[in-house]
Amino acid sequence: MSSMRGWKPWAFAAAVLACGSLALVARNDYVLQVLFRIVLFAGLGLAWNLVGGFAGQLSLGHAAFFGAGAYGFALLSAASIPRWVALFLAAVVAAAFAGIIGRIVFRLRGPYFTLATIAFAEVLRLSVTNLKLTGGAIGLSTPALFSGRSLWGMLYLSAIALAVTAFVINVYVARSRFGYYLMAIREDEETASAVGIDTASYKLRSLLISAVLTALGGALYGSAFQFIVPDSVLTIDISLQMAIVTMLGGAGTLYGPVVGAILLLGAAEVFKNQFQESHLLVYGILIVLVVLFLPEGVVGGLQRRFGGR
Amino acid sequence: MTTPLLELRNVSRRFGGLSAVKNVSFAIGKGEILFLIGPNGAGKTTVFNLVSGFLHPDEGSIHLEGRDISGVAPHEAARLGIGRTFQLVKPLSGLTVRENVMLGAFMHTASAGRAAAEAGEILTFLQMEHLAAQPARGLPLAVLKRLELARALATRPKLILLDEIVSGLTSGEAVTLAGLIQRLPERGVSAVGGVEHVMQVVMKIAHRVVVLDYGVKIAEGKPADVVRLPAVIEAYLGPKYRELAQ
Repeated sequence: MSSMRGWKPWAFAAAVLACGSLALVARNDYVLQVLFRIVLFAGLGLAWNLVGGFAGQLSLGHAAFFGAGAYGFALLSAASIPRWVALFLAAVVAAAFAGIIGRIVFRLRGPYFTLATIAFAEVLRLSVTNLKLTGGAIGLSTPALFSGRSLWGMLYLSAIALAVTAFVINVYVARSRFGYYLMAIREDEETASAVGIDTASYKLRSLLISAVLTALGGALYGSAFQFIVPDSVLTIDISLQMAIVTMLGGAGTLYGPVVGAILLLGAAEVFKNQFQESHLLVYGILIVLVVLFLPEGVVGGLQRRFGGR
Repeated sequence: MTTPLLELRNVSRRFGGLSAVKNVSFAIGKGEILFLIGPNGAGKTTVFNLVSGFLHPDEGSIHLEGRDISGVAPHEAARLGIGRTFQLVKPLSGLTVRENVMLGAFMHTASAGRAAAEAGEILTFLQMEHLAAQPARGLPLAVLKRLELARALATRPKLILLDEIVSGLTSGEAVTLAGLIQRLPERGVSAVGGVEHVMQVVMKIAHRVVVLDYGVKIAEGKPADVVRLPAVIEAYLGPKYRELAQ
């Protein structure tokens, strides 16, 4: 287990400060937007990592929580609830969703579980597309959490706050009984229950934490672009990106989702300018290469090669 | 008479039209080592799954210290004091040997430090402390079988179910493992083992054996007596040998 003793907390704090200070250095909104996306997805990957990495439950339905956060935030703010209160209430709404969805989908295993998570997210997307309350396909305007010229800088810092929170939760999980229990479930559910682990309950707990973090990310995303439609926040693309970022970097590792987000979103940004739409091809090639040569992800593979875990 | 630790009363379990276990009753006392013996398909694993909550009986009931536990879930059975190993070893291959055992110890403590200390004690008891830091992935079968035992012991069970614990081992390895199982009562742990063959090594450590054939209990008693029973010989060797035995 990676320990956070000795020099590591200092290195961690330094890294966070260095990332944060980029907000002051980068005056260019485009650069800040790119950084915002990378850090946001690092946070989302870390959120997904709890369920998909530690507990080994391959969810491709996290867009449901992302969208619930974005829509919850927009709707609650429209009901004249203060923005920051609405932000956290939206996370509670997503947790409630997770509670309902989890109770059903965790009865299934393997590919059936994955298909059920996709189905749930799609049901939510179609409902939101067809409901008057949510503005249908036209969408909703979302209040900005910040205003003024430093808007993107503040958003970027908020994304850092979310990613750091998610990272600290991952560190706690990796070292605690909770984390060991999730890993036991990932490796073998029967063995897990034979040592007294209530597997259904632990899977649900991991999903609840993951959903709350994901929803905060969704609300942040909605507030950044100040407008949301079902196809931007409830699309399966969001679910896929969260999963791919984590698996590319290394599912079940602490640094994997961060590395994955930098690689995937960084590469996407670079190649988007060079090849326009064909950056998706680069995406695809990157994923194939990792699956072939580093099936445990970049971080997982390196740790295996150089010892330690 | 004192209440037995575990008691099966007229337990039956069917899979479709097949009766895997039919009207089986037996009991085990505190500090006892009992082995279920029977050819492949006799219903041993079904009995283990029934006792540990992975299956529930269609008829009859199962009692732990007098309490009916027939319908409990596997994790509840574990928390009530029933530990088990699996016929096909299932190590958490990404974790080290110590971490695998800690998983069992976590039933009693949320502290990783205390769980590690307890795991260390059990690994010492099972003479595998030198392997504590090894990843479970790639360990030989004999070590993995012992690891299964260690993980189950770490939950501090009253009763431990050892499904085919010595199968697949060389006779030397089996003797070593049997010696360790023999010492379980020292720790206040009773054991129900299961083996296909009437093995020397088992006969030495079992206080009592129950013989199953096609899901039915055909004999019960001290190992030395049971192997002479005509019904047992017939189950293993066929009806021709029944007369020879008499």
